[in-house]
Amino acid sequence: MKKVVLLMLGLAISLMGCGSLGSTNEAGELRHIKLPMGYIPNIQYAPFYVTVEKGYFAEENIEIEFDYSFETDGVALTGAGELPFAVASGEQVLLARAQGLPVVYAFAWYQQFPISVISAPELNISEPADLRGKKIGLPGLFGANYIGLEALLFEGGVDPSEVEMDAIGFNQVEAYASGNSDIVVGYTANEPIVLASQNFDLNEMRVADYAQLIANGIITSEMTIENDPELVRSMARALARGIEDTIANPDEAYTITLKYVENLKDQDKTVQMQVLNTSIEFWKAERTGYSDPQAWENMNDLLVKMGLIDAPVDLSKAFTNEFVP
Amino acid sequence: MKPKTLHTLSRWLGLLSVLLAIPLWTLIVRVSNLPKFILPSPIDVWLRFLKALTDGSLLYHTGVTLLEIVLGLLVGVGFATIAGYALAKSRTLETVFSPYLVASQAIPVVAIAPLLVIWLGDGIASKIVICALIVFFPVLVNTIVGVRAVSASLYDLMNSLRATRWQIIWKLELPAALPVLLGGLRVGATLSVIGAIVGELVDAEQGLGFLLQLGDFQYDTSMVFVAVFMLVFLALGLYSVVTLLERRFLKWQQ
Repeated sequence: MKKVVLLMLGLAISLMGCGSLGSTNEAGELRHIKLPMGYIPNIQYAPFYVTVEKGYFAEENIEIEFDYSFETDGVALTGAGELPFAVASGEQVLLARAQGLPVVYAFAWYQQFPISVISAPELNISEPADLRGKKIGLPGLFGANYIGLEALLFEGGVDPSEVEMDAIGFNQVEAYASGNSDIVVGYTANEPIVLASQNFDLNEMRVADYAQLIANGIITSEMTIENDPELVRSMARALARGIEDTIANPDEAYTITLKYVENLKDQDKTVQMQVLNTSIEFWKAERTGYSDPQAWENMNDLLVKMGLIDAPVDLSKAFTNEFVP
Repeated sequence: MKPKTLHTLSRWLGLLSVLLAIPLWTLIVRVSNLPKFILPSPIDVWLRFLKALTDGSLLYHTGVTLLEIVLGLLVGVGFATIAGYALAKSRTLETVFSPYLVASQAIPVVAIAPLLVIWLGDGIASKIVICALIVFFPVLVNTIVGVRAVSASLYDLMNSLRATRWQIIWKLELPAALPVLLGGLRVGATLSVIGAIVGELVDAEQGLGFLLQLGDFQYDTSMVFVAVFMLVFLALGLYSVVTLLERRFLKWQQ
């Protein structure tokens, strides 16, 4: 009888231990994170898909829900504390902080500004000053495309009022191909490659050749950093692994991305691999996730000179490398 | 209290309630401690208003939207009045066209606005058409109701005086239908502001809708408020114009 009681007691204690591991271990609880991506599902988001599929997010107890809403919405929601993270371009952080949004750039994904101005060869546009008096198609007066164009105009001594900016949505390829726009702004690793694959002749001017701007990365908020720094660290750690795996094995990244981008299988694989490989050149870094303080200084000064912000933003609060692995 | 005193007092009360909203708004901002990108204070909005006014952007974009509204109203009211008169006079025409007219109203303007921009371009034309479409139905319905409300005995009187068709329209039907018609115009005038903004939000590089979007994209919530307030003033202004027209042309009713 005594043995039975001891056995029952031991069993009860074991069961209590198991229960406590399952219910009270907050580190084991999966955190559902809605992540605004800023664009439609695309091969360029391969590192994120790889990070999910390889379980790197899950190992950090993160479950990602991809939200393909506008970049500016993601920045506003993150600044308002509604979401912990968003994918956004660096200049959006400065623009937002100038308006009082407490967003912080916590992880650099792209190491160079990935925007290009694509033009019909007969226009002979080889430098920013050649854009004077032209009509330029771009997704809208927001985001990296708009800021990249403004930076290019500024470097060329062209006032924005001297060009006509035509908001065409994310239809740059269609607009250029149909002849509706003979100058469009797009991502260096995307639109020029897609157009060239369709045998359209074009000239390309890369913003990165003229201006040093901080490009896409993961932004968070001061509130998230203060209340849950470990979440930020986990996010950075997981994504760094996903980016490095993507760089090391693009073919695998392409295969994984097929699951997340609905029409990818219907598109020319050669072209999509070219988009991916070109993007990879923008992602390579000595220390994945690290953003250059000097580049931030340069961008801060440039945005003031461009008149997009009234005064330099306090950079000590705008970005951090604290969470970069 | 005398009716005139009461009337004067009620007008001042209206103004007072609007003025009281400003300190209440300030109090909400202070108590809630919300940052200005979520809820700017009246001072933030006022300063942003002054900045947009002095750099010329506010007047320019307001002018563009006002032009779209006025032209949209003229087109919409013009077509609606003519169509409404024809349908009021002919039951056959009404039977034939009513299903299409009702169906056209069931389709939300925001759904067809992108199509109109594709067909007519991103210039002012698409915005005028969107405005006209949104104004059309209320004015049409009121025209039909107004014309049909004319008493048969008045027609008999005009016929007995050997009035021509044009004299019947000008001296009987139009004055008799005017109260209802202007009632429809009141609704149409405020709806036209919505029409212009819907078009500008779909695709535009100018106008208050464009300014509103620009403010949103640049996290400039104060600018969004400025654009919204300008739209409210435009709507109130147009409503006041219609009210003045009623006082001018419906004196005989008073």
